[in-house]
Amino acid sequence: MRNLRLVRRETPLAGGQFRAVLVGVVIALLVGVILLLATGNNPVSTYLRMLDGAFGSPRAWSNTLTRAVPLGLAGLAVAVAGSMGLWNIGAEGQIIAGAIGAAWVARLAPDLAGPLLIPLMLLGAVLGGAVLALGPALARARLGVSEIITTLMLNEVAIRIVRYLVNGPWKDPEGNNFPIAPEIPDQAKLPGLFERANIGVLIAAVVVGLFGWLVSRSAWGYELRIAGSSERTAEYVGISLRTKILTVLVMSGMFAGLAGGIELTGSASRLVEGVAGGWGFAGIIVAALALMRPSGVAAVAVAFGAVQIGGLSIQTQGVPAAIADILQALILFGALAAAVFGNYKLVRGEPATTLDTAGGAA
Amino acid sequence: MSRAFKLALASLVALALFATGCGGDDGDDTKAAFVMVAPIGDAGWNFMHNQGRLGAQEETGVETAFVESIPEGGAEFDNAVQQFIDDGYNVIITTSFGYMDATEQFANDNPDVIFEHVSGFKMNDTNFGNTFGRMYQPRYIAGMAAGAATESDRIGYVAAFPIPEVIRGINAFALGVARTNPDAVVEVAWTSTWFDPGVEGNTAQALIDAGADVLTMHQDSTATGQAITDAGGTFIGYHSDMSEQVDGYLTAPVWDWTPRYSQIIEDAKNGTYTPEAWWGGMADGVVDIDIPDSSPVAGEMKEVKQQILDGEFDVFDQGSVVAQDGTVIFQDGVIVNGFPNAFAPDVMVGEPGAAIDDFILLDMNFFVENVEGSLG
Repeated sequence: MRNLRLVRRETPLAGGQFRAVLVGVVIALLVGVILLLATGNNPVSTYLRMLDGAFGSPRAWSNTLTRAVPLGLAGLAVAVAGSMGLWNIGAEGQIIAGAIGAAWVARLAPDLAGPLLIPLMLLGAVLGGAVLALGPALARARLGVSEIITTLMLNEVAIRIVRYLVNGPWKDPEGNNFPIAPEIPDQAKLPGLFERANIGVLIAAVVVGLFGWLVSRSAWGYELRIAGSSERTAEYVGISLRTKILTVLVMSGMFAGLAGGIELTGSASRLVEGVAGGWGFAGIIVAALALMRPSGVAAVAVAFGAVQIGGLSIQTQGVPAAIADILQALILFGALAAAVFGNYKLVRGEPATTLDTAGGAA
Repeated sequence: MSRAFKLALASLVALALFATGCGGDDGDDTKAAFVMVAPIGDAGWNFMHNQGRLGAQEETGVETAFVESIPEGGAEFDNAVQQFIDDGYNVIITTSFGYMDATEQFANDNPDVIFEHVSGFKMNDTNFGNTFGRMYQPRYIAGMAAGAATESDRIGYVAAFPIPEVIRGINAFALGVARTNPDAVVEVAWTSTWFDPGVEGNTAQALIDAGADVLTMHQDSTATGQAITDAGGTFIGYHSDMSEQVDGYLTAPVWDWTPRYSQIIEDAKNGTYTPEAWWGGMADGVVDIDIPDSSPVAGEMKEVKQQILDGEFDVFDQGSVVAQDGTVIFQDGVIVNGFPNAFAPDVMVGEPGAAIDDFILLDMNFFVENVEGSLG
């Protein structure tokens, strides 16, 4: 055991990533069967309920897709940075900053017509996310300060700011002194798409799709990936690393900020402290499951949303929340592990050369 | 793997058909569902709501169900509530403040389902009401025990957020302290969280370090109790009887949702449900206090409890209630001076000369004179 190590496969597992993840999920579900039987729950009806809760009706679809929106945009925020080797751990704070930006616009122009107000609010959200990401981006590009630390710490700052706003200057005068901002005007709410889903689903789909394509197919994305794999190569072919770092990190903030704007104008009716809901952190898992490829984020986000929504809905037939949580974690873990083993293999013995490990860790 | 896979798939589909075939609807019986924001097993807020659910189920014979750990106002909440509706639940009780707007929307979309939201302020005319309890009444009595128990004349209060519910509880508690110990002060420290044992414990420790030998809290964990027990002091709990969890436990103001939930379910069953902003007190059974015989003031506490039950005693209607800055706010049940609205400090709450009403209690935004600490 001591000599086991992970080595990158020379060619990824046959059948590709998709099949590996599918196998991982199936294994996780089988482990879940044992868990459910051991706790006296019917695994068949539980899994059917989970499926039904996530995809069983237009209503269920609408909730799954609604949940996938912040997951996808936060996942994109992490994955776009990740595709050039940067870690944006600040999506949670950037979502909050986005929601603040959108709420601010609504405060400034509450009487504006919806078709004008909503785009402006979303613009405010994008700018909010960008502002929060700008500091870490500049510090990384100019001074080489680790963006992991700065983006992580700014999450706390964003939480403190929104807490101050809803407890102080933005507190709802008709909110019985509760720490909540006033409801946004009716015309500021995103138009519905179907059931509980709003057009935020379309906006997110376009953004995630577009940037997934840009990173994997365009020249710009190619440069990004080169810069991510080797700084020297990037410099050699004349790619400005500083500009790239700056744009990519700020852009990451914009994606997460947009998620905050869509949450505020879509699902949430008002700004509250918990507006980001932890989806910014979940975005890191989404990006990891997508192997840091923005093109994989959309599918992962919908699957993750389904696990989240379907996983919680099994409670309504009496499965305890703790078991539901374990099942969700099992599925995510199974998928993540399978994604890794699709590209890496376990090898026994000492590393043949130091170069081998260096290659495996890249 | 393909043959085995197909076989497995086929048997799964067969089982699925079997499972769906077994499902039956019982018709139009009343069924009640509860939505909770955190796990029920925490001896706190959600635990007591689940106790109330079980109690109401026993009293009314109505089938109940619950979901826990449902985030506030998102797709999870929507899905859980919609599934309950689809499964024929026609009374839905949501027990966290942040569910308010989403519950209102559900109520308007589902006129045949009765919705009750706990701890908020919204309602409609037909199928959506709100419920809360006058926890300040037993808090006052708990304050009496704390005042008698402290030797350092310093009592610590670990509190979540400076919202009226919490401020009202602190003031009632401090008035109870002043009754049995005019020299004691109540020091308040905010945690900015409802549930975080680490933060609650650290905040409790800070109050102990400042000299408190009795602690109470407005939180969801027992961390404050552990901290003061370790320091050899006395703990006044909240939510439920915490004597099993905390050695230093003396007493606690407690919730009992059973009577209220039974009433809502009975009304729904009989078709007599009318939405209201229901704010029940000790006389309604929704709040109570566990009076310890070991307390030197147990007799007086029982007296006050009886007076409250008989409607003869009002916590904020007794002599003068003075704010931290010396302003007299209430005098013998009458408003003498208003206090600044938390949102707009230049707007005063309370009409001088008017009697104390629920509105001014619901908007409470000042600390009484024996409280140390600021409103936020």
